[in-house]
Amino acid sequence: MLSVLSVEVRKLNRSLALLLALAAPGLIALFVFFNLLRQKAPQPWDMWMVNANAMWAIFMLPMTVTAMTALVAHMEHGPRAWDQLRALPRARSSLYGAKALCVLGLVGLMSVLVMGMTWGAVTAGVQIKPELAPTGVFAAGKYAGQLAAMFAAGLLMIAIQFWTAMRFASFVPALALGIGGTFFAVVAASAKQGVFMPWQMPVNMLATESWRVQTALGLGGGLGLLVLILAVAHLARREVL
Amino acid sequence: MVRMIETERLTRRFGARTAVEAVSMTVPDQAVYGFLGRNGAGKTTTLKMLLGLIRPTAGTARVGGVDVGRDRIGAARKVGALLEAHGFYGNLTGRENLDLSRRLLGLPPSEIDRVLAVVEMRADAGRRVAGYSLGMRQRLGLARAMLGAPPVLVLDEPTNGLDPDGIAEMRGFLRGLPGRTGATVLLSSHLLGEIEQIATHVGVIHQGRLVLEGELAALKAAEASEITLRVDDPQRAAAVLRRWDLTLVEGADGMIARLWPGQDHDQVAAGLNRALVEQGVRVFAFGARERSLEGLYRQVTENTQSLPEAA
Repeated sequence: MLSVLSVEVRKLNRSLALLLALAAPGLIALFVFFNLLRQKAPQPWDMWMVNANAMWAIFMLPMTVTAMTALVAHMEHGPRAWDQLRALPRARSSLYGAKALCVLGLVGLMSVLVMGMTWGAVTAGVQIKPELAPTGVFAAGKYAGQLAAMFAAGLLMIAIQFWTAMRFASFVPALALGIGGTFFAVVAASAKQGVFMPWQMPVNMLATESWRVQTALGLGGGLGLLVLILAVAHLARREVL
Repeated sequence: MVRMIETERLTRRFGARTAVEAVSMTVPDQAVYGFLGRNGAGKTTTLKMLLGLIRPTAGTARVGGVDVGRDRIGAARKVGALLEAHGFYGNLTGRENLDLSRRLLGLPPSEIDRVLAVVEMRADAGRRVAGYSLGMRQRLGLARAMLGAPPVLVLDEPTNGLDPDGIAEMRGFLRGLPGRTGATVLLSSHLLGEIEQIATHVGVIHQGRLVLEGELAALKAAEASEITLRVDDPQRAAAVLRRWDLTLVEGADGMIARLWPGQDHDQVAAGLNRALVEQGVRVFAFGARERSLEGLYRQVTENTQSLPEAA
């Protein structure tokens, strides 16, 4: 499995997927940087970091997962590489499993970058306007915990987007699904029913009601893992005509 | 005879459409087997079943003695494939692309230089594949198929899209492949002329059925003789020749009289010539037509086509 995973990572070399992994958290950091510069008074670290996490969960994470899964799938769909890959003497489940792990790794990396780049943006802004230095403590454990919970709650969304992107050679079904899911996640962010919607589960990690956090985490993480395993099994078994 | 590829009544249906029907083919060890058929005849579907990419509706396929249906991975270890869609990653170099397959096959790094040397691609291996010509991609695909020196190579339309020089180069390369590597080569094509110059054995698939198979030299030797004629009045000539037990076909350069297998070519030719002259038909050209794969192909595909009409 490690050799297949290393092959998947090598395929990312000079690819758009790697660029996207840097661009998405970078955009949040850029927004935070300019937002800090327009402030009149210093704000607490919590405000900057939790807001960045919220931006990540509500919009950037679903959109990035949509684009990332589509790009990773298109690395094979584009040059019609599936036949060549699937003809190799390897269990096909390992090929799809490695792809899924690769996507999860990239989303995990982006989650880390959201935190790191946001911290960097605030620190850089303070270099220009020292009077805006954030107040309070930088609770790294809390911010990292939120991002980890968002990652876990996003598993169901990742599994659905992953299966759709791998199953259909065209970009359209995966993009339509992802854009649609993100649209409802944004316009109905506070709706109670949103806790059952895969694209809205990550942002529910910031909810004040614990049942929403627990439900979204349980469904997104638990069911998500199951759906991801089933997706890999189905993709490995189906014929690519 | 060691059979490196063998199928038994291999069948594949897509819904109501039968793409491949009861194909039983045999590819001997170290043969260059030309798998012929027009586009849509069932060549690629058959190759995909041999590679375990799609499951047969019925029948079995064995590669290197391993049943593809029972042990796909075991059969895949015996075969290297060049498919119509190359499946290269344009953002990576030729060498990096080969390295991906090498890692998946669990081969040592030295294997890359070996196969690059075979296809004479070492100088260009450091360039990104996105900048490769089609011919270079074909050669890189061949290099990838040869990773690990598999005993069987399956090549789907290896001359597709190549310019005349590229085709000539590929022809020379494929012809010498069994001698150099000991591999058995199964190559599909719809280019009869190319197959005739490369293959030692042929199989013709038509409308999903294998209508001809065998050693090319033996098939050509057994082919019915043909006589080409160029006359002043083809209609009158046809009326004269209809009395003879043969088939008349309009060719590009005149008429073609196709004899039945076993008929004495010289005797029939002398008789035809005499009859035409006696009936006042002016004969400008008269000669034996060279036995060709195209002739064989036409015979078997036309016969197959005429069957439903006759029924």
